[in-house]
Amino acid sequence: MAPLAAAAARAQDREAELRRVARVATVMMDGDECKRVVTPRALAAMFAENPKDKWAASDDYNVDAPTFIRVKKTLIRLSRLAPFPCDVNLWLPLAAKPGKVHIAIRNANELSQFWTWGALHQDAHPAMKTVLETGGIQAVSEKPGLTSVLAPVYDSLGAVVGLVEVVARSKPDTHENVR
Amino acid sequence: MVRLLWLTALAATLVRGDEVAWWPENVRPDPFGEAVRADQGASRDRPKVTALTGSRAGYLSAQVVIRLDRPQPYHLEFRLEDKTGKLQLDVFREWFHFSEWDKSYYPDALIPIQHPYDSSIPESDNKIAKQTTQAFWVDIWAPADTEPGEYSVRAILRNGSRGRREARLRLRITDLVTPPEDAVTIDHNSYGSSFLADQYPRLASPYEDGAFFQSDDFFRLIHSYHRLFYEHRGTFHQLGYGHGGKVGPEFAPALEGSGANRHVASWDMYDRHYGPLLDGSAFKETRRGARPIPFVYLPVNPEWPASFVNWGEPGYDAEFTRVLGEMESHFRKNNWVNTRFEMFFNHKKRYKAFPWDGDEVRFPDDNAFFKKYGQLLKESIPPDSPVKFVFRADVSWAMERQFEELKNTVTMWVASGSMLSWMKDAPKLLRDRGEFLWHYSGPPPVTQSAVSITKQILRTWIWRVNGYVHWLTVNPGPDPWFHFDGGGTTLVYSGDRFGLRDPIPSIRLKCQRNALQDLALLQSLRVSRAEVSTAFNGTQPDEWWSQEPERAHRPPYEWTNPDLEAVSRVVDARLENIDPAAWNRVRELIYQKK
Repeated sequence: MAPLAAAAARAQDREAELRRVARVATVMMDGDECKRVVTPRALAAMFAENPKDKWAASDDYNVDAPTFIRVKKTLIRLSRLAPFPCDVNLWLPLAAKPGKVHIAIRNANELSQFWTWGALHQDAHPAMKTVLETGGIQAVSEKPGLTSVLAPVYDSLGAVVGLVEVVARSKPDTHENVR
Repeated sequence: MVRLLWLTALAATLVRGDEVAWWPENVRPDPFGEAVRADQGASRDRPKVTALTGSRAGYLSAQVVIRLDRPQPYHLEFRLEDKTGKLQLDVFREWFHFSEWDKSYYPDALIPIQHPYDSSIPESDNKIAKQTTQAFWVDIWAPADTEPGEYSVRAILRNGSRGRREARLRLRITDLVTPPEDAVTIDHNSYGSSFLADQYPRLASPYEDGAFFQSDDFFRLIHSYHRLFYEHRGTFHQLGYGHGGKVGPEFAPALEGSGANRHVASWDMYDRHYGPLLDGSAFKETRRGARPIPFVYLPVNPEWPASFVNWGEPGYDAEFTRVLGEMESHFRKNNWVNTRFEMFFNHKKRYKAFPWDGDEVRFPDDNAFFKKYGQLLKESIPPDSPVKFVFRADVSWAMERQFEELKNTVTMWVASGSMLSWMKDAPKLLRDRGEFLWHYSGPPPVTQSAVSITKQILRTWIWRVNGYVHWLTVNPGPDPWFHFDGGGTTLVYSGDRFGLRDPIPSIRLKCQRNALQDLALLQSLRVSRAEVSTAFNGTQPDEWWSQEPERAHRPPYEWTNPDLEAVSRVVDARLENIDPAAWNRVRELIYQKK
């Protein structure tokens, strides 16, 4: 097989593995728990602008630790379903600001195609909007070497309340994000 | 013959305004012959220095500034008048960085040169239109066995037979010997090691697929950074993991297994990295001599050595205590017993990987995690171990409460300077408990006066705390050479641009080193803090502290950054506008009685 064709085949295999993890994630993730990860105080502070203190919202960011831990453990276990280094991140929409999302839990490799470093909230990527609106699984490969599969997270009422980003790098970099 | 012809040609080109002069270390020239604005004192005259006094086992420093009225080549040489042959001369060319902040030039990076030195003005690589002036930093090293007495060094600007210029600097070496131990520890922090590949493309590019990070070149370069800071009387830290807990392979032993079977599989990378630092052999060729590094980060974080997936369960404790126990055993076996191994947590909730702040706790519930890790560390290490493990916490908002609540857990505190400024009792409280207290801030940018780097050193000593951390010291920004961001995150530069395989120092690092030498001497001579602060800026030590704000009585998660800035502003105002001679007056306290 020519090198390019081989690379394309590997990418397809990688995406297929990530899709498999994403489908399991949709089943395993507890959306009601996910909604309780960030404290109400931190959510309220997230959009409060203080021109004299640009770090106020970040300083006030807080989570409910027991809930965070339970959800994170599930994300870690999900990532171990992949036969290569992989992160599963939790993204949640922000009810106070339609169209905005925030990353609630990240993992060891700190991989994401979407997170702006340090941002508490950001615009939802079109693929995220699709997931949140339709419940469909979406694959994104926009940043070189990274593949993400986005899948919905449901609560007990059957509503899509968030999404997971199952993400891997084609060639693991031992020094990326060690900083 | 070629050289003679060149000199003859040069002689014909020099004109009356050409000069060579010695400038003091703390007044930096610009490329046009004036002192940079931040270093100008009351007088706008060009500063000159004709004599230096120093101690043995220490450096004396000054700058040679040459000025040529029009573009032309030059030849500069130095003649040390020292019959004993003990003194050693290190000469560096000063790079003029163009600061984007104020569209001005500042010298900072110091490029080691061989002398005699032949070049031209304008300096071709610095690319400054209408440059008339080039500066050189000169270090004179006086070993401990130097005979006290008078020496001198001449800087000779070769004009050929008719136009030669010369400036002489007299050196008086006293019988004092600079103590090897510093009065305070000045630390230089950094994160990871990927910056090395970025900043040394010539060194790293021959390697493919990450092989650089396993190469001898890589480890030699890391050790070179340690040596550079060590030679400047500082320590160097590299944090080896990310906010999500990923550990760089050279910062930790390789592990395998999980739960009860988690164990160290290989020490290879760890030992190549740390072995020469922990036994001191990395420093054997330095003037200060071989000595193990005094502090080092451990790779411990919530995801290493135990996986967070097991947090709160027996498996987490088993993974943690077994691997830490193996580390203790390995360190003991290698007799690495002179270094303090720091368990330190750098993550923050805002970076979304863990549910508690390891760095700068703001919410009191987070202290429970510290207590758990303190307990795990104690369970991992035999009580009679000669290996020194410390639990380090970098603290700000909640520090006053943490000093009490985490008593017997945290043993090394690195505190926000602005918040520590109203806790005058804290240094004694922690010292009496046998704990370390450092404070932190960042390096002053080049746009501040050259003497400003001495302020935090002096504050550390006046406050009677053990040390100070420049939080980031190896990041000169994307283009320090022609579009400089000011250097607030660096005190060293890559030598790659100049064909060097090592980092190069800065003027600020040199000024800091010289101040540390002086402080070690002042402490050994029992000069009082009041004498020193008075000499520095006419203050008393109490004026280096601030008043406790009303806010301090409310929970720390209700404070804001402006609250804190208002407090520190009072003290900062007293330390602003330090005149260029401030540290000279401090230094004179050492020698006025000699």
